[in-house]
Amino acid sequence: MPGSLRYRAIAVRVVAEACRLISRPELESDAAAPGYDLTHPFDSAVVSAFAEIFNNIAIHAYGRRDTGLPIDLALWIEPDGITIELRDQGSPFEIADVPTPSLDELHEGGMGIHIARSLLDRVEYEPGPPNLWRLYKRLAVEEARPSVVTR
Amino acid sequence: MSENFQVQHAADETRLLVRGMLDVNTAPGLAEIVDELIAERRPRVVVDLSALDIIDSSGVAVLVKLYKGVRGVGGQVQITGARDQPLAIFKLLRMDKVFAL
Repeated sequence: MPGSLRYRAIAVRVVAEACRLISRPELESDAAAPGYDLTHPFDSAVVSAFAEIFNNIAIHAYGRRDTGLPIDLALWIEPDGITIELRDQGSPFEIADVPTPSLDELHEGGMGIHIARSLLDRVEYEPGPPNLWRLYKRLAVEEARPSVVTR
Repeated sequence: MSENFQVQHAADETRLLVRGMLDVNTAPGLAEIVDELIAERRPRVVVDLSALDIIDSSGVAVLVKLYKGVRGVGGQVQITGARDQPLAIFKLLRMDKVFAL
């Protein structure tokens, strides 16, 4: 999809639906609530983190411009987790240089990568081009549907 | 005004209702409202998030701006109704204590 914030909502919806298939596969798609159903903690965590990374690419890698350059999005949907890859052709950066914000005070910025790192099991970034983000979240056993719980 | 936001002024209280998605695309619209509330020195602002489905760090930033700005001119801010994903984000950023959620 184009690497623009105009396409953010559709990307978020794709990820939200993928999460629902993992966390609540028993729900028929038609039975899902209209809008964003992020009542499940797995869905909430993955969508929150993904949205921050999408923002980061559109705002920083592509400088908020409609460059015509894409964000390539790939999802691996598995019964016990999700892997998401995002590739962009924008400006790379050094993720190790991103500071961890102090939560003792209120911030008006700089929280996006902290949110993603805190909510996922793995956040990897390889500078390019193409720059590659790889996000992974495991569905916690206690969150999984009964049929896949090992007893 | 965006359909995502609704402002109701009463004698001593301003209610700000935020609906749907408060994110990098919708936050600038709320920031304009926040600037007005701060400039008008509203004494008490109640932010109702019960209809808010999803928030990102840009949305959080505007709420922090509101909180700091209104208090900075002597007013009070109360944030109510946060649930699900927005509440999880506030807790992650340890803002649930500040906002008394």
